[in-house]
Amino acid sequence: MFTIGKVLFKFTDIVILLAACMLTIQLYSIFWLDNNQPGEADTLLVQFADNSPTEYSLSEAQTIRVEGKIGSSLIEIKQGKARFIHSSCRNQFCVFHGWLSVAGDSTACLPNRISISLKAASSDYDAIAGSQ
Amino acid sequence: MKLHFTTTHLDHRIALLAALAITIHIIESAFPSPLPGIKPGLANVVTLFTFIKYGWQTALQVSLLRVIISSLILGTFLSPTFLLSLSGALLSLLSLMLIQLPFYATSLRPYQPSAIGYALVASVTHMSGQFLVAWYFFIPHPGLFKLLPIFITFAVILGIVSGIITQLLINQINSGSTTTAVTQDRQ
Repeated sequence: MFTIGKVLFKFTDIVILLAACMLTIQLYSIFWLDNNQPGEADTLLVQFADNSPTEYSLSEAQTIRVEGKIGSSLIEIKQGKARFIHSSCRNQFCVFHGWLSVAGDSTACLPNRISISLKAASSDYDAIAGSQ
Repeated sequence: MKLHFTTTHLDHRIALLAALAITIHIIESAFPSPLPGIKPGLANVVTLFTFIKYGWQTALQVSLLRVIISSLILGTFLSPTFLLSLSGALLSLLSLMLIQLPFYATSLRPYQPSAIGYALVASVTHMSGQFLVAWYFFIPHPGLFKLLPIFITFAVILGIVSGIITQLLINQINSGSTTTAVTQDRQ
């Protein structure tokens, strides 16, 4: 039991204060720490228009040519990652997006109506909103 | 027919404290808040003071009067704001009672927490009560829980501040009398 200035602190107060601080730290660790890291991606899904997606394994390096609405797109798979390397669209957003490496990553070529996304064997995410 | 009320000293005390709490509540609601849901909660200083000095029955009445009347004045009666305010007030008072319960025993009485401890409990449970009601009734989205640590951090800080204010208030009231805040809390 001690006082700071005119304010009285008792043993019980210290216990309550410590409990409150621990609760706060606990809450940060529960809700802020990223406990579930995105799963390792192992499959590439390539989809044209409304067709059901075609699956490709990420383990073998290959280049896939997909015929889209306005032309063909080239998709490269290498070292567990995937990217558009060529597209016949005008803006080339899909190519500039670069590598997709995490499960849930996705990009699309809207003019050509082709979208690709990575899928993990066990993914906790349906999708990840990009920050680019 | 003429109505006649007899009021007791206790009624006057409750009315005085409630009026004080309502005034503080309304002044406080005029200030902008840095984050929605975070307020200094100075009106709770009055509730806390009442609880420590006069016991939970008085504090409950003061608290309910404060919540209902200030919401009537601010025009938020029965609105979500009112429900949040009411749930926070009730839960914080309930947990204050629970915390105090073991210290009714004579042997434990010297260990009763002072204003700081009570203020912390009140503020954290007030915030949690509001948060749970907001989450359950108004925004049932798991993403809301990302905000919980921030809210609780502010609750702890503001709880300490309001505890210090309450303690200073009690010191002020008690100066002149020989008893201390700790032994006088239950009358």
